[in-house]
Amino acid sequence: MSEKKLTRRSFLAGTAALGAMAALAGCTAQETLEEAPAGQAGVESGDAEVRHAWCQMCGPACTYCSTLCYVKDGRWVNVEGNPEAGNNWGVGSRSLCGKGNSAMQVPYSPNRLMYPMKRTGEKGEGKFERITWEQAIQEIADKLTEQKEQYGPESLGVLSPQAWAVIQTLGRRFLSVHGSPNYMHSAICAMQRAASKVISIGKQADCYPGQIDKTKLLVIWGANPENSEINRGKPMKILDARQAGMQMIDIRPMREGIGSKADIWVPVRPGTDLALALAVLNVICSEGLYDADFTANWCNGFDEFAAHITKFTPEWASPITGIPTDQIYQIARMMGTTKPMGILYGNGIGDQANDGNWTCICICLIEAITGNLDIPGGGGAGMTLPPSLIKTNAIEMLTDRLEETEEDKANGYFRGMSKLVANEFPRWYQNADTFGGGPGPTSAYYKAFMSILTEEPYPLRCVIGQNSNPLSATRQPKNIVEALKKLEYYVVVDTAWNTSCDYADIVLPALTNYETSQQFAIKNRVDGTWIGMNQVVVDPIGEGKSDWDFYMDLAAAMGYGDDFWGGDMDECLRWQLEPSGISLDELREKGQIFVERTDGATATEPKYRRYDTLFAKLPNGKVQCYNEYMGGKLNNLETGTLPYLPEYQGPPEGIAETPELLEEYPLVFSDVHAYRLCNHSCYVDVPYLRELQPYPWVKINPETAKKYGIGDGDWMKVESPHGWVKMVARYFDAISPEVLMARRGWWLPCDELGLPGYGCFDGGSEVNVLYDTTIENFDPFHSAMAKQTLVRISKLEEGDGNE
Amino acid sequence: MSKQYGFHMDTGRCIKCWACEIACKQWNGIPAGGIKRRTVHEIDEGTFPNVSRTFVSLSCLHCAEPACAAVCPAGAISKRSEDGIVVVDKDKCIGCHYCFFACPFGIPQYDENGMDKCDCCIGNGVTPGDTPHCVAACPTQALKFGPLDELAAEVSEQTVLQMVTADTVPSIVVS
Repeated sequence: MSEKKLTRRSFLAGTAALGAMAALAGCTAQETLEEAPAGQAGVESGDAEVRHAWCQMCGPACTYCSTLCYVKDGRWVNVEGNPEAGNNWGVGSRSLCGKGNSAMQVPYSPNRLMYPMKRTGEKGEGKFERITWEQAIQEIADKLTEQKEQYGPESLGVLSPQAWAVIQTLGRRFLSVHGSPNYMHSAICAMQRAASKVISIGKQADCYPGQIDKTKLLVIWGANPENSEINRGKPMKILDARQAGMQMIDIRPMREGIGSKADIWVPVRPGTDLALALAVLNVICSEGLYDADFTANWCNGFDEFAAHITKFTPEWASPITGIPTDQIYQIARMMGTTKPMGILYGNGIGDQANDGNWTCICICLIEAITGNLDIPGGGGAGMTLPPSLIKTNAIEMLTDRLEETEEDKANGYFRGMSKLVANEFPRWYQNADTFGGGPGPTSAYYKAFMSILTEEPYPLRCVIGQNSNPLSATRQPKNIVEALKKLEYYVVVDTAWNTSCDYADIVLPALTNYETSQQFAIKNRVDGTWIGMNQVVVDPIGEGKSDWDFYMDLAAAMGYGDDFWGGDMDECLRWQLEPSGISLDELREKGQIFVERTDGATATEPKYRRYDTLFAKLPNGKVQCYNEYMGGKLNNLETGTLPYLPEYQGPPEGIAETPELLEEYPLVFSDVHAYRLCNHSCYVDVPYLRELQPYPWVKINPETAKKYGIGDGDWMKVESPHGWVKMVARYFDAISPEVLMARRGWWLPCDELGLPGYGCFDGGSEVNVLYDTTIENFDPFHSAMAKQTLVRISKLEEGDGNE
Repeated sequence: MSKQYGFHMDTGRCIKCWACEIACKQWNGIPAGGIKRRTVHEIDEGTFPNVSRTFVSLSCLHCAEPACAAVCPAGAISKRSEDGIVVVDKDKCIGCHYCFFACPFGIPQYDENGMDKCDCCIGNGVTPGDTPHCVAACPTQALKFGPLDELAAEVSEQTVLQMVTADTVPSIVVS
């Protein structure tokens, strides 16, 4: 103990803090627990080094927050937002969210995979042997070559861990060159919401205000601005506007962070948002609160639509949603009369509900018919930035390499659509105009896995799972594991052992983005354009390789090197940077470069109400109140056609939807999906994050918990018609007594805190075992799967020894 | 005293994201599972559906009249004259916990080296008066740091009154 103190004191005397110490001359300084960490002061004294990294803890897709990483004695010790990048509120912002502040614990996790492995025992047995990278890549290449010949290239599927840069570029390029369209997209994605917008108000239109400082009313609906990309400017701007007088309505089952600032909280029952949206539209139409000029000129079939929704009264919606009739009238009138009004609607209601497509369409229609689209402070209509001063090449997916089959040709499908193993969207929908997240066809993750079991229309033979644990990333792990058992070849590339690895044939150790220098991103601003590149913050751990290099090596081994820069990632990076005039060596060395804008150009107000442009790709050039974009066309299962007008569906199990189940399963259950201390199931092993929430939790109203004899902090059993989990009860007043909300994805252990990971099957803590997976129940347009069900609960007496 | 630095906690902006707590830990080298110099507290009122939630991020309040220093038998706690930051000398701390019982806000915590609490980051290299890491990290600007008179000028008189009439005169405004 005293030795530690001496070390600390000598550090303070000799190094970084000298400047600070001099300023304190004669005063008492407080000593810290450990040696003073290295910040800018450490860099100035030469005691520490600073390196640049993109924080990607809101998802591998994200390069939003540029960070400065401080390395001392070879170890990454501190991280902060990079004030030069223009994060969050702009230049000077050093802010970072909770996750970002714990980034330096990520690469040092004891869960890291250290070397390539090959399965030696039966699937699920957990017996593996260490092999070399060369052997692993060669074996995968041999298998893929063999399967391509035997079953066709479409027998390969690649899992989607968000719209991850690696997969969206090299991964999907690999699929295209190999000849498979089967990018297994989660169907739990902003792409679902985006597609509903494409077919109702148009791709370029938006419900969220581009100029929120001018907005009078913001409706947050099934969105998590305090859980998702906190540091990307949204909460900051919402709170600025709120404090300047903007009104807020928050429509979510729990009164969460930003919701706590709302004027009105609407605790809608999970999964019933479509009923609420229909009732809001009903009031707006029946009371004439719509913008008559807009509906007359820019709405397709408004009168037919208005007549159709007369049946969806607040009186009808109240017993479905659990929201009092008066409150539905109140919020509908506010939305109908407060202008400009914007809506922030999120994935929770779009891609995690069986009727997510219609829910999002109806929300878009609320924004549209009230005349709020493309007006200052209304939906969209953001300021226009002058163009970027740094131009780069983007890696293309080469979807033109996919075979155009006779079926594609005959139906006018985009190439590859007919060969999809489980088309996520209707085959007629995905094309060069409509793709979200890149120009390529997609199969739905869960449905594609089921093809292995049903062999309909054909079974996938090889799945590559990078940064995605299928036993947690999609619904019903009990079904997925059966598919994994039957799957001929499963390759995992990940930083840590995940619960699906036991069923893998090859497991490869990936590096975190902090161990490589292979990704850059650009922020265009008024004052200029800034480019930042990952620098190596931590030397590669174990025998890990980057995901970029995995594809480069595999492509080279498959003989696809000509399309992959000869299998050399540096060559690929040089090609990407070519138009910028910035050399890879310079960018790598500096980590960031800023090009100042010298022509005096500034952000300008856009033209407003550009409806002829915004709606140009919509049938009749109008907002689809009567939806002729999808109406009468095939659904994604090709079992029938899609409707022109909305009908309420609701969750597969619900209080109003399946009253016959209520006696056995009296409570509604759902989960938050995104949460601010994790990214899906990642980072549950990060000590600073796990410390705040050590156990799988479920929020429960104390009134309900007491009825079942469940105390705050007790383990409880939560059982649905589909499975059961154990979770720790957390008393929470801001949730309905009839609803439970949990956080999902707890399979990672945190050794530093002595906390276990919890299983993904019945008796574990993966809430995905609770949900319905009847494929016919999934959204018939974009394949969204419900995350709402009914449950019964009881106190779990035995616990697991970790209480 | 030449200056008194302090915090402004704007509860209208705190969304309980915990960034301040974790920033405090990483910059002060405090391991997970150990003490906390800063905590985001939550005050819930009412019953469903009329429930309000208020989040308050608090650390040591660097009081004008620190009760902790007054009771410390070892003279380990002092208030710096030039900036009003209250600091503890762990070499002198005998771990008696008197300060914990004296502090109206329950701030002092203890580890193997003695009492520990916020020092506005001056122990980890931040120049006294410069922005502590919790404030720099806050994604919503709910936390501010600066000369207390300047922070007080930005809030209502009643808020200032609450502060100056509290027993130990904490160096914080909570609005």
